[in-house]
Amino acid sequence: MRQRCCRPPRMGMPPGGQPPEPPAGRQKPPGPSIPLGRGEGGAWHALPEGHAHTPLPLLAPLIAGSGEAAASPARVQGAAPPGRAPQPQRRTLAILLPRFHVERLRLPGPVAVWAQRGPRRLVLAVNAEAEAEGLEAGQALADAQAILPEVMLVPGDPAGDAAALERLALWALRFTPLVGKVGEDGLVLDITGVEHLFGGEVALREEVLTRLARMGLSAVGAVASTAGTAVALVRAGWSGVVPSGQEAATIAPLSLAALHLEPALTAILQGLGLRDVGSVDAQPRPALVRRFGTGLARALDEALGRASRPITPIRPPPEMAVARDFADPVVTREGIEAALAGLLEDLCRALREAGRGARRMLLRAHRADGDVQEIAIGTGLATREPKHLARLFHEKLECLAPDCGFERITLEAARTDPLTGVQDGLGTAGHTARREELAQLLDRLSQRLAVWRLAPRPSHWPERAARRVGAFEEVEEPEGWATRPRPVRLLRRPLYISAVALLPDAPPSLLRIGRETLRVVHAEGPERFEPEWWRDRPDRKLRDYYRVELASGARLWVCRVGLAEPGEAARWVLHGHLP
Amino acid sequence: MPVQALFVRSPPHALTFGQAIREHNANISGPPQAMSAPPIPAPLDRPALISALRARIARMERAGAAEALAARGEDAVPLTQAIDSALPWGGLPRAALHEILAAEPGAAAGFAALVLARAGGTVLWIAPEPDAWPPGLARFGLSPARLVLVRAPREQDALWAMEETLRCPAVGAALLVAGELDLTAARRLQLAAEAGGVLGLLLRPDEDSAAPTAALTRWRIGAAPTESQSPHEIGDPAWNLELLRCRGGRPASWRAAWHADGLVTEDGAARATPARRRA
Repeated sequence: MRQRCCRPPRMGMPPGGQPPEPPAGRQKPPGPSIPLGRGEGGAWHALPEGHAHTPLPLLAPLIAGSGEAAASPARVQGAAPPGRAPQPQRRTLAILLPRFHVERLRLPGPVAVWAQRGPRRLVLAVNAEAEAEGLEAGQALADAQAILPEVMLVPGDPAGDAAALERLALWALRFTPLVGKVGEDGLVLDITGVEHLFGGEVALREEVLTRLARMGLSAVGAVASTAGTAVALVRAGWSGVVPSGQEAATIAPLSLAALHLEPALTAILQGLGLRDVGSVDAQPRPALVRRFGTGLARALDEALGRASRPITPIRPPPEMAVARDFADPVVTREGIEAALAGLLEDLCRALREAGRGARRMLLRAHRADGDVQEIAIGTGLATREPKHLARLFHEKLECLAPDCGFERITLEAARTDPLTGVQDGLGTAGHTARREELAQLLDRLSQRLAVWRLAPRPSHWPERAARRVGAFEEVEEPEGWATRPRPVRLLRRPLYISAVALLPDAPPSLLRIGRETLRVVHAEGPERFEPEWWRDRPDRKLRDYYRVELASGARLWVCRVGLAEPGEAARWVLHGHLP
Repeated sequence: MPVQALFVRSPPHALTFGQAIREHNANISGPPQAMSAPPIPAPLDRPALISALRARIARMERAGAAEALAARGEDAVPLTQAIDSALPWGGLPRAALHEILAAEPGAAAGFAALVLARAGGTVLWIAPEPDAWPPGLARFGLSPARLVLVRAPREQDALWAMEETLRCPAVGAALLVAGELDLTAARRLQLAAEAGGVLGLLLRPDEDSAAPTAALTRWRIGAAPTESQSPHEIGDPAWNLELLRCRGGRPASWRAAWHADGLVTEDGAARATPARRRA
């Protein structure tokens, strides 16, 4: 196998639009990137022969599992002629946590989780101690209590389980950037190209299981070439590593639990004497599909590796990432800042070599007890200046809660844009530098506060004349704004006032605002605003605006809502302050 | 706060002025023991001497700002000829904080928009609830392309945003809509403006309790009755501009009107009436 490293494909590519790179081989230098295809339905298998694709700049994005994060540009093209990349050989690790619902609670003694199912109360899961006493999932709650009266009963909490699995999936990002959830109690990790960082697939699987055991979770793990096979193996309780090409042979003698079918369907198949996967697969396919539907065929194909089962990643794989592990957990703010500075330097160096700048960055801190915390920042313009990025992060570092300390901190550039032709440390001269400085200021402000520009909109209705756009967008001034007398401040909440006019449709001669009565000396108007029928609600009333000047000299923009109706008091509104 | 007020009003001038006079005298006469001939009394041109000393004090006081201003290479923001001549800097200086007391919200916002527009570059409008409306601001030359609004509901956020903005040389001017502001906060803003060379405006409601601040100038902007005779016409915007406090200058007041895309001061001369109350 030839070696090649690359950045993982960017997000937003059409499926198959960018073929994935071949995985790294065993002798890859430290700090490889993980090539990940994130297409639909096995897009990472599809690499047409002779596809004219140029490999993206090769980088050292992921520095995993090493204490000293030494980013080395992994530009290992070797003798690989471009344009004829081999089929990537993917490897997947599936983890099943059969007792996750109970063990995540971390309660001592025999514990059972139960839930109401129709009129019955059933035990959903039990921990090892309770199982030793004879309790099992699916039992009636009353039976369980009769067998073991001292069992601690906990009502089921599906939302809590889902959140806990999500946290566990985030935790698993320490092994590979592509992690997906399977059902309610399983994870699937794409470990292509990362296994050598942990000393091989076997060692990686051991490491994952050991760490899970340390967190009090019993787990089954299997490594196979496709995600479907790996998941089927762990569902059947098989644990270990399947060499490439032997999936079918390994899975054939396993029980039907591997297929994860409906219980009724499993019972029917067993009634027919089909007790393992191999015997089901040996049946003629048309008859099988006709009788049991396509679901069974699909499950079979996935389990045997004939159909691909895409992984839905919990986080889109980053474009670049660096990580640091700490032998002693980092607790203090100074420690975190120092770690962040080092990570930023590494990542910015990698970005510079790639000619890119970050638009979105994600700091992920793995706590020693398995908790994972994330901080995200965004920038308006692509940047790779460590000082600026550090300032943006410093505003948010207080969100982190390093209870017992962080043992690993990862920094990802989730989104990057091309950024070339900027010489670092050029000083603050010139138009570009000014623009850069302004962008940095707006970045800093928008981390904490709402920042926007007002862009004109083709509408004469006052509230719609301007709309909020991002601080980095270009805005143009429309013609004619400068000539019209308009208020400089438009009240966000117009004030209802009362007014006295000589005639129903005459300008006001007296305004009452709150308790004050103000005499109008000059009044210009009316300027009639008709509602925009093409986008307004039908009962919107027209407005007659007057520019009035009070005896004090204050100028106001007031309007009468609707036409004057006999017998009805006119409604007056103060809408703005004229200069 | 009598202690603070005292501190602001007297010491910097008195101290530096006294020092400068002593230094100046020493320079003129030279070291007496080194001279063999009896010292010739230097011709004492009092007005020239005092103006030279004043200029020197001005240089010493805003030493930080001089650097930032030189880097920007832009002059003070002009208003009208009459007002500019009354201000020691020939206009509203950059790298400084100016305080505007709004006796009337519309007039004060109009005057602020005028200053922001003439300062050039990108301007930031920082307020708890920014209600600036570009169709009206465009009349004073402030294009929406240059205006950035920042919403800062909490006072400490607003002060932080203003300070960050004033330190950024890429910004032309910044406006902060604030209520009460203590001396330390205002002093910080003033120093930030000197560091970045940005013109800072502080828009505050007109209150009698307005404490002295570290701003370079303080204005009270009110609306002036229009000169239009017809009850059906309100005419051009007219403002009462009161310069209440000005470091190195005298209080004055003008009646100005916005006429045909320009600010026009009435009578062409400042009514150098003392301010209604000391501020």
